[in-house]
Amino acid sequence: MKSLMSNSARSGCGKATSSSAENYQLARRRTLQVVVSSLLTECGFESAEKATVESLTEMIQSYISEVGRCAKAYCEHTARITPTLSDAVVTLNEMGFNVDTLPGYAKRSQRMVITAPPVTNAPVIPKALIAGQKRTHPSHIPSHFPEFPDPHTYIKTPTFREPVSDYQVVREKAASQRRDVERALTRFMAKTGETQSLFKDDVTAFPLIAERPSSIPYLSALLPSELELQTLEETDSSEQDDQTDSENTPVNNLNDDPGADKENSVLPAGGVVPLVKVSEENMIDNPYLRPVKKPKVRRKK
Amino acid sequence: MHEIKMNRKKDKGFESPRKSVIGFVELTIFPTVVNLNRIKLNSKQCRIYRVRVNDLEAPFIYNDPTLEVCHHESKQRNLNYFSSAYTAAVSAVDPDAGHGELVIKVPSELWKQGDEMNVLKVYIEFSLDQPKGGLHFVVPDVEGSMAERGAHVFSFGYQNSTRFWFPCVDSYSELCTWKLEFTVDASMVAVSCGDLVETVYTHDMRKKTFHYVLPIPTAASNISLSVGPFEILVDPYMHEVTHFCLPQLLPLLKHSMSYLHEIFEFYEEILTCRYPYSCFKTVFVDEAYVQVSSYASMSIFSTNLLHSAMIIDQTPLTRQCLAQALAQQFFGCFISRMSWADEWVLKGISGYIYGLYLKKTFGVNQYRHWIKEELDKMVEYELKMGGVLLHPTFGGGKDKDNPTPHLHFSIKHPHTLSWKYYKMFQCKAHLVMRLIENRISMEFMLQVFNKLLSLASTASSQKYQSHMWSQMLVSTHSFLKSISNVSGKDIGPLIKQWVDQSAVVKFFGSFAFNRKRNVLELEIRQDYTSSGTQKYVGPIKVTVQELDGSFNHTLQIEENSLKHDIPCHSKSRRNKKKKIPLMNGEEVDMDLSAMDADSPLLWIRIDPDMSILRKVEFEQADFMWQYQLRYERDVVAQEESILALEKFPTPASRLALTDILEQDQCFYKVRQGACFCLAKIANSMMSTWTGPPAMKSLFTRMFCCKSCPNIVKTNNFISFQSYFLQKTMPVAMAQLRDIQNLCPKDVLNFILDLIKYNDNRKNKFSDNYYRAELIDALTNSLTPAISISNEVRTVDNLNGDVRLILEEITRSLNMEKLLPSYRNTITVSCLRAIRMLQKNGHIPSDPSLFKSYAEYGHFVDVRVAALEAVVDYTRVDRSSVELQWLLNMVQNDPAHYIRHKILSMLGKNPPFTKAAESPLCNEALVDQLWKLMNSGTSHDWRLRCDAVNLYYTLFGLTRPSCLPLPELGLVLNLKEKKAVLNPTIKPEQGPDTTQMTGNTMGVHIPVMGFTSSEDEIDMESPHDSQAFIHHHLNILERPSTPGQHPAKHPAVIILVHNWAVLSLPVTPLPSFSKESTSSSKHSGDHHHHHHHHEHKKKKKKKHKHKHKHKHESKDKERDSHTFSNSPASGRSVRSPSMSD
Repeated sequence: MKSLMSNSARSGCGKATSSSAENYQLARRRTLQVVVSSLLTECGFESAEKATVESLTEMIQSYISEVGRCAKAYCEHTARITPTLSDAVVTLNEMGFNVDTLPGYAKRSQRMVITAPPVTNAPVIPKALIAGQKRTHPSHIPSHFPEFPDPHTYIKTPTFREPVSDYQVVREKAASQRRDVERALTRFMAKTGETQSLFKDDVTAFPLIAERPSSIPYLSALLPSELELQTLEETDSSEQDDQTDSENTPVNNLNDDPGADKENSVLPAGGVVPLVKVSEENMIDNPYLRPVKKPKVRRKK
Repeated sequence: MHEIKMNRKKDKGFESPRKSVIGFVELTIFPTVVNLNRIKLNSKQCRIYRVRVNDLEAPFIYNDPTLEVCHHESKQRNLNYFSSAYTAAVSAVDPDAGHGELVIKVPSELWKQGDEMNVLKVYIEFSLDQPKGGLHFVVPDVEGSMAERGAHVFSFGYQNSTRFWFPCVDSYSELCTWKLEFTVDASMVAVSCGDLVETVYTHDMRKKTFHYVLPIPTAASNISLSVGPFEILVDPYMHEVTHFCLPQLLPLLKHSMSYLHEIFEFYEEILTCRYPYSCFKTVFVDEAYVQVSSYASMSIFSTNLLHSAMIIDQTPLTRQCLAQALAQQFFGCFISRMSWADEWVLKGISGYIYGLYLKKTFGVNQYRHWIKEELDKMVEYELKMGGVLLHPTFGGGKDKDNPTPHLHFSIKHPHTLSWKYYKMFQCKAHLVMRLIENRISMEFMLQVFNKLLSLASTASSQKYQSHMWSQMLVSTHSFLKSISNVSGKDIGPLIKQWVDQSAVVKFFGSFAFNRKRNVLELEIRQDYTSSGTQKYVGPIKVTVQELDGSFNHTLQIEENSLKHDIPCHSKSRRNKKKKIPLMNGEEVDMDLSAMDADSPLLWIRIDPDMSILRKVEFEQADFMWQYQLRYERDVVAQEESILALEKFPTPASRLALTDILEQDQCFYKVRQGACFCLAKIANSMMSTWTGPPAMKSLFTRMFCCKSCPNIVKTNNFISFQSYFLQKTMPVAMAQLRDIQNLCPKDVLNFILDLIKYNDNRKNKFSDNYYRAELIDALTNSLTPAISISNEVRTVDNLNGDVRLILEEITRSLNMEKLLPSYRNTITVSCLRAIRMLQKNGHIPSDPSLFKSYAEYGHFVDVRVAALEAVVDYTRVDRSSVELQWLLNMVQNDPAHYIRHKILSMLGKNPPFTKAAESPLCNEALVDQLWKLMNSGTSHDWRLRCDAVNLYYTLFGLTRPSCLPLPELGLVLNLKEKKAVLNPTIKPEQGPDTTQMTGNTMGVHIPVMGFTSSEDEIDMESPHDSQAFIHHHLNILERPSTPGQHPAKHPAVIILVHNWAVLSLPVTPLPSFSKESTSSSKHSGDHHHHHHHHEHKKKKKKKHKHKHKHKHESKDKERDSHTFSNSPASGRSVRSPSMSD
């Protein structure tokens, strides 16, 4: 207990403003703890775990706070600002406490006397931050009305910096950003995969991602990358001319598995026919679009 | 009619697809002579199972002398010997002369019917297993079915190469109609010549049969096939045109083909003739042999021509390829040639109309630039290698002179030509057509073409029996006759000079102005003594730009007159403030202060219209070149002056070039040329150069931001002229050097900044070519490292600038792995840059990186770039390991184009030459190369000629000096017509003496104990005979040749009956000439092959091939009478003296 006190005292010395409020609360909390301890003793406990005491303290504090809060509410409900006894009684009743038992309890014989909490200064309400000049009331507002709040609460106070709009810097930034990304990416790829090196003495200098032969090299070399396609769409989406697409749907048998399902392999070819028929006027008579014929029965000599 | 049916096998589920073809051919032959008892056909590498003539089993003999040109045991290693033997071998199977590899004996039961001239039906069953030439199978090594893998096959070859994939008369002059059937897997599409009549499933529904009919008479050599899981695009403008590409490429195909209809329209309009076939097909395949190849009603292209709308540089190239292919459809496929000597007409016309297309589409500037480029290229080749002869005449054995003694190969057959020569041949052909146009006017020219086409199309609809089909063949004679009929002009001298004669003209011009007489004294000299040159006599046009205007003069170049006086028109000295009229009527202000006050001459041009195949070296003062560059409107003149100004590094030249660079009306290629010239001038003027490095401020002004001149604008390639200039300038700037001969720091940083600030996000076009050129610029900026002794190059002693460069290259190359550029242009540039870094000693020289990039499985451009680096390494480091590696790839690489490319790059950048000693030059290498050209390349004519070229470059014509002296002191040197002592001592001799004549196969007959009735046999040329005897003996002495490597050469002889082993003396044929083959040795041979064949057959059965061939009649009609001009026709009637 002593050490606690000394601790709080020391901390109180250490921090002038904020600790005065702390001290105030700590002192009352300590009194509550004493209360709990004495009640426990009264009930016949010889010792209690610190945590238990702490929990009980918390409970009792909550209870008292709730009583205070409700009493205040009742009093304000009746347009007063200071609670009276009747407010407290109503509250206690409301919380299921029989007020009549209270005088008896207060006079019980085995009660212990507890020293009043040490006198500490009531906490100082910290001053609100004052930023700028408070506005005075305009003439049509009576002076008894509350003052305007601090200007910062209603005045726009930009906190971001002016964006860099200098073209050169933007380009510079974009360029170095791209370069950094590329470098980091390629370094990463080089570190995590196989590499080739230009130097024998230091294979880590200028690592080259090892080439990897591809089975169909022309695909990656000819088809535009997704990135490029994206760029193209962004720069020019109007140019697409897909008019001919529907007319020319190829006979695409690619996904057939002729071994597994021969019937299926007929379908794509046949599928073209209705499509062409839809646009009768555009019908294309191309031998490669015609459906494949079924074999004739025995055409041999 | 000729009928082919093929079942192409590609088994699914097998790890290694079989790559085999099984088929049969049925030819219908109309005999035109009485005793047709022997039929000769061309066939290479096909395994022939049986031959039936009119349902009777017919014996046959198969002998391909080109499999192994010189006898295996021969110790001969000189190229003269090889060339003559090779020519003889090719002649021996030349279909135009009626020869062939496959000799079928008509069963005797059919002989006596001769009088009635019954139709003979020849039916041949054959198969092809893993063909090495003729058909190319591309089977990507991935999971999935063949269709999912994008596996495909296509026919290819150089000139007439159809014999590689089915037995036929492989000549451009033997026309017949066709019925073609191909049975392929149901997931595949078979595209071939003619109209697709129907597609029918086989009974098990696993396969489809494509039935094609080609009613237009077509030579077998113009027949092609491609099969694959193609995506199909019907041309939206012309529904009879169908495009095919490999899976996933359809979007590219759509874009790339969106232009084709305009080319169609153009040709049909100028030729006033409809496209002759009822349909047209374009097929885009991978690993193509050449970029463009045209066959009857279809063309096969490289898939790498496809591009998206974002690609700038490839677009004109692809369109040009399409235009070439289409031009060849008219002249080359529909109209075929009478003989090899007439090839130039077809190549010339198709090249010429292609030029007209270029002019219309890409503009006159582009056209003239192209003509100049082609002319320069051709002239350069002829001056270096000797002349290119368009129309060789081989005087029937009587004329023993080789028309081209300067060449190390024979030009008697297309298959013996070097590839480069053939390219120059095509180039010259279209240039000569242009000369003819100059003479007779374009209108007449087009009328002639129209006449040829309409005659041909009338003939094509006739029946064979009408004997009209020969109208579809063009010969030099008929072409010239048409010209004279249509135009009434005699172009004889022109033809004599440029067609019947090789070589070009070389002019040297200079002038003096005679002030007193007001006359320009022009001196034009000729060099007609050095190789590749000829003397020119005739008119020449000279254009003189004077103060008062531009004047054309036509001078006569005569035997001994060098000087020509040209009177000047401009009397007045200098009329200030007067505008000067130009040739095109434009009048311009000029600053005349630079010119000579006494002379009214601004500039002079000799032969401005390029109407002579010539090289002109003209001397005029620097200011005249500058005026010419600034004010002459002809791009050719501008390019000539740019070239000339390189020799005048003065501030005035600099100013003229800079002005041209800035002038955006100027043709972009001229401006590109000006960039490089300016760089050269700047280097010459290094000490007096003032201001920033050349072109830097110009580039800044044109392409950089106004507010921050060190940063390039974000890319916008809408204006192609600017785009090309923007690409070129950095590359040219990087050639600048300072006093220490280093690239100025300014320039390097400038280029690095261009790379750094490059921003393509807002661009509608891809910047891959631009980025690649920036890497090229970095490469250009490299200079040799200061080498301190021979220390090993390490990271630590890397020069700071080089480190920056290397970092860019590393990053770009790595980024390519993640975001590959179109055609991997950036990888290509990076590889070149790395080789340059190695070569300049900045990083250790090491070929392993390039070797890995050169492996199969990379994009072809990347492979070629990598191989180029390896070739270069081989030369610089004299590495035999790398040379072996390269040669190994030549033999084994799956892509034919790569094989060809390696050999031609080795020829261009040889590891050593005959002139210099090298440790690489040793006997093993000689043997290896000899073997390569002797037997290793028999499946590809082009590759064999490449090998010959390389051998020539390395060792020359005579026995390589690194070989030990032959054991026998006396060597029978067939070229020298005599036995000589050790030929290594002999100086080089042209192969002229070994030239074979058209009838040479007759020569050996007496040796075999037969008498020949052929009156053209030239017994007066004993040396030729000897060569032939020798050669023929070789053929006979190697019974085991085909059998020795049965796996490699599936073209084995297969006999149905053993009795056929008998020697079959010659019997006359209509267009098949005789061949006598001899007995005993062959019989052994046949047994051998027969067994082999049996073995194979069993194997086949195991694989359970079921081929249900539908037997239908097909006939190949032939009648040599029809082709009165055919070389074969002269021999068509032969006495039956040698019949059994």
